[in-house]
Amino acid sequence: MVIALLSLVGTFVALYLTLYKVGVIGQLSCSVGSCEAVNTSQWAVFLGLPVAAWGLGAYIVMLCLALAGIHPALEESRTISWALVAISGWSLLFSLWLTYLELFVIHAICMYCVISAIIVAFLFIASLVDLRTREAGGGRREAGDEEPGTRDNEVETAGII
Amino acid sequence: MGKQRVETGSGRRANVVKRQRRASSMRGFYLALSAVVVAGGAFLIWQYMKPKEGARVTDATGPLAAEGYLLGNANAPVQILEFADFECPACSNFSTITEPDVRKRIVEAGLASFRFFDFPLPQHRHTMKASNSAACANDQGKFWEMHDRIFSGQNDWAASRNPKGIFEDYAKEIGLDVGKWEECYEDGRHQTRIEANRAEGERRGVSSTPSFVIGRRLVPGSLPYDVIKAYVDSATAEVSAKTGGNLDDSAKVRIDPKSAVADSTSTP
Repeated sequence: MVIALLSLVGTFVALYLTLYKVGVIGQLSCSVGSCEAVNTSQWAVFLGLPVAAWGLGAYIVMLCLALAGIHPALEESRTISWALVAISGWSLLFSLWLTYLELFVIHAICMYCVISAIIVAFLFIASLVDLRTREAGGGRREAGDEEPGTRDNEVETAGII
Repeated sequence: MGKQRVETGSGRRANVVKRQRRASSMRGFYLALSAVVVAGGAFLIWQYMKPKEGARVTDATGPLAAEGYLLGNANAPVQILEFADFECPACSNFSTITEPDVRKRIVEAGLASFRFFDFPLPQHRHTMKASNSAACANDQGKFWEMHDRIFSGQNDWAASRNPKGIFEDYAKEIGLDVGKWEECYEDGRHQTRIEANRAEGERRGVSSTPSFVIGRRLVPGSLPYDVIKAYVDSATAEVSAKTGGNLDDSAKVRIDPKSAVADSTSTP
């Protein structure tokens, strides 16, 4: 649940920056930093697409995975957890690289980019915790154990996702 | 096997309690999810609507204190004034996607003239240099060529430490006398003119870029062609009604001779 909520917040942040980048929104509301200096820089485009659009895609994929992971039929799926760890880990590395560019190359900070980087960091941590919980809970369930403690694990797992 | 184990009464009760806990936490989750959707959606809608809510009647026929850069016939029945910042993505979007249509189907067709006014925003660090580069190109009659090149290359120069080299390449590309252009660029002689253009926008209530004054209406936002055409048609009808069908004497933009800053007519 935590991952789904964080992904949804990130989706809106990335959508806002994407809409700005494609010219739908006139000016960014940016009370801290220089959002427009960052978002009009050459590093705001990656492989022909706005960086914000890549972020939007990643958040949407993580949101879908997290929502799928809550479904009872997929509650035990460790594939979903691994996918979340992989995507959020890659996104975190990408965000760190972007933050480096902001600080040392562009010399301007975009508060929405910082917010997104923080969300991604929490997503990565939550994904790791979720994976660990599933690994521990799944191990017991594989043995066919339906002791009360197992259901507790399922509730906890759903809570993180 | 564990699955065949008979549950005790207390085990069943424990499972029921846990299912209730789970249902309750799912309700909270869906509520939180809905709250984020509503808050995020409202924020985006507010941001999208913000520039457009300002479409209002303005005194567009009053004398211009600055002339901007004219495209088309100064005596066209309707005047379109664009207030834009060279470093703003929405302005670049308009310039590269919509403006070619506006030039061909409205300006060249004689329905309206088009004037560009610099409206450099303080948060953009190179925008004044871009305006300066375009003003210097105007000295050699190639404002619009430089205007188009600056907007199409926005991603390249906006991120550079010093965009002068890139602007110089543009000057070569469009066939300017680079020596003269550079002298003008370094000189910063058009600073007053650029600031006069911005002041003209402030006087008319412009608060975001791009913003357009079409006829008597101030319309903020990167407008699509159809919307601009609709405003031009509406302004033409207003002018026609006022002058009894004589469009030639209609909405000519008057230049305040005391305050106008340099003449600036050039062709695209």
